[in-house]
Amino acid sequence: MSKTNASSALNSKGGDDISPQKIVILGVGNLLLSDEGVGVHAANELMKMELPPEVTVVEGGTDGFGLLNIITEADRLIVIDAVKGGGAPGSIYRFYIDEVQSCPSGFKTSVHQIGILEVISLSGLIGKTPHTTVIGIEPKSLEMSMELSPEVKAKIPRIIELIFDELKIKNLTWSVSKIQEGI
Amino acid sequence: MGDERSLFVQERHIKGGGKMAKKITIDPVTRIEGHLKIVVEVENGKVKDAWSSGTMARGFEAMLIGKDPRDASFVTSRFCGVCYSVHQLASARALDEAFGAKVPWGGNLIRNLVMGAEYVYDHLIHFYQLSALDYIDVMAIANYSGMDKDLLAVKDKIVGLVKTKDTYPLTPRYEPDEFTVKDPDMVIMAVKHYIDALKIHAEARNMGAIWGGRTPHYQNIVVGGVTSYPDINQVTRFRTMLDEQAKFVNEVYIPDVLSFGTGPLWPLAEMGLGGGHYNYLSYGDFQKDPAGKELIFPAGVIMGLNPAGIKVDPVDTKKITESVKYSWYRENKPVHPYNGEQVFNLDKKDAYTFVKAPRYDRKAMEVGPLARMLVAKHPDVLGLVGKGARPGAVVRHAARAIETKLIVDACYDWLDHLLTEMTKPGFKIHDTEHWDPPESGMGAGFHEAPRGALGHWIKIKNKKIDNYQAVVPSTWNASPRDEKEVRGQYEESLIGAPVPDPDNPINVVRVIRSFDPCLACAIHIIDPHTNEIKKFLIE
Repeated sequence: MSKTNASSALNSKGGDDISPQKIVILGVGNLLLSDEGVGVHAANELMKMELPPEVTVVEGGTDGFGLLNIITEADRLIVIDAVKGGGAPGSIYRFYIDEVQSCPSGFKTSVHQIGILEVISLSGLIGKTPHTTVIGIEPKSLEMSMELSPEVKAKIPRIIELIFDELKIKNLTWSVSKIQEGI
Repeated sequence: MGDERSLFVQERHIKGGGKMAKKITIDPVTRIEGHLKIVVEVENGKVKDAWSSGTMARGFEAMLIGKDPRDASFVTSRFCGVCYSVHQLASARALDEAFGAKVPWGGNLIRNLVMGAEYVYDHLIHFYQLSALDYIDVMAIANYSGMDKDLLAVKDKIVGLVKTKDTYPLTPRYEPDEFTVKDPDMVIMAVKHYIDALKIHAEARNMGAIWGGRTPHYQNIVVGGVTSYPDINQVTRFRTMLDEQAKFVNEVYIPDVLSFGTGPLWPLAEMGLGGGHYNYLSYGDFQKDPAGKELIFPAGVIMGLNPAGIKVDPVDTKKITESVKYSWYRENKPVHPYNGEQVFNLDKKDAYTFVKAPRYDRKAMEVGPLARMLVAKHPDVLGLVGKGARPGAVVRHAARAIETKLIVDACYDWLDHLLTEMTKPGFKIHDTEHWDPPESGMGAGFHEAPRGALGHWIKIKNKKIDNYQAVVPSTWNASPRDEKEVRGQYEESLIGAPVPDPDNPINVVRVIRSFDPCLACAIHIIDPHTNEIKKFLIE
């Protein structure tokens, strides 16, 4: 409880345990395929920042099942990944995972046969499925390279800003402006 | 329930010798890691010919050329999101040889323990999450009439999924056939273990992170050894977590595999579904002692298995070549991996895959658990064969379970050794004398990864990488035909497989999945194949 902010600790009475939600920001993708790695690049930027104690940033690479240990520990999950949605390079998409599960012939047969969304859905079998938001970025290049394309690279600060906005909705108390100074 | 065939199977009739043969394409094969297409030609209810295609390009080696050799362990660990540590290890071993580094026993023990966790993780996922659904009819759960509280909870969960039509991961699937287990008590127990296995292997990833520093993509294996000294807490934590893994392996995984394999699936074992060439290769791995006199997995080659008297020859890695006749690479004669290249030619006539065709002594080989356990002449595997099982899909599953136990047992020994080493004065985990790259040199790194024999080859010139090649386990198994028209192991192992109903080629996917394919699972993009995603565009 030491990490709960002061005001809520003051307001809480005995037995009224307000333990903070565990928030995980998970950047995924392949670092060797330029924009495919945008989630990894964004996660690496976030790791340099000072974040509230309940927020954990994880760079998930291209693991599938291996992320189960991370996903099942989260109450709230934000996934950053490249998304092919047909928009211009650098376009940003945002959706809750429940929204795409109702998509006909949607994600469940995606390119990688056991992908991040499948694994999130499996987490429900052994406990809870975290409330999940996906922040997707339309890639320009999937060529072999460890650099992002300029269009996608330019969007990293905006992606981070959107994630902070997203988490602020949940009334988490910390200073966004303070963090933005660090970018 | 979704139906695998409506999604992925295309058929066409082809004329061959006056008879009608039927060609079935399965693209993609689901519940594997990566992207694989299988085409089979079926005649009189049996597979007559087969083609295996890796449909994603993998040429990461090209981007290593010109880099500092020490970067190789990091970059190659990003080849694949599933088996990153195996590449890190094989790469570090190639550098060990090229740099002349001698890994201290302490460093080797920690490397082994990382891989120990990897084995349990990989093999449990393979059996429960990727394969079990090939052999059980999940829908039989609805007929469970017992009163066991835990099992009733499983029944509620699965029935709930079906009701909400959210049936991943149970679908897509093929229809059950005469070999499918439909007994409600057996099926519900298997599904309970499916769910339990999810928890156990999630924990195995955390075990690897004790040494690897993070998960996924561990960071600790480098040329010369490992990067961080262990403390007693790490050893204790690993041992406590290992107890839980060992319990599951011994009390659930092995009994499940044996009761299915020697019970309802025995006819498939006797039939030898998924046999192939009966040539096996193991590079050998995991020292039991500092000198490496004895290995957990011995090295060896078996050509044309004779179960009555298994002849194992020593491995000579100079006999490895890769053919590209049917692969989308620039034409080249078969070459040793030291001289391999990655120049694509997508217009090449007759080519049908991005996978090259590795051969040992110009023969197509199987690598992986079955190869390792036959080379080791493991009594339990030989016992199954002695009772009439022919090496194939079922024995392959058994071999995988048996070697998981070998690895778990070895982990306890490695922890004991590590504790002893830690108390010695001058305890070392890394050869710091050989950290700087040599002016020039070459090295090969071999590792028996969970999926099989993995090799990395490096050439160094002017302290930079001059050439780099990795020959991964699934390349051996999923290879296409070679310049002598010899089929790869997947292809050969499908010949004769019964496909009585061309609309339901369930035996084809049973064979393929028994190998635990992992093909270029290096891409992670969300590609929904639908325009729906556009409505979520925000800017």
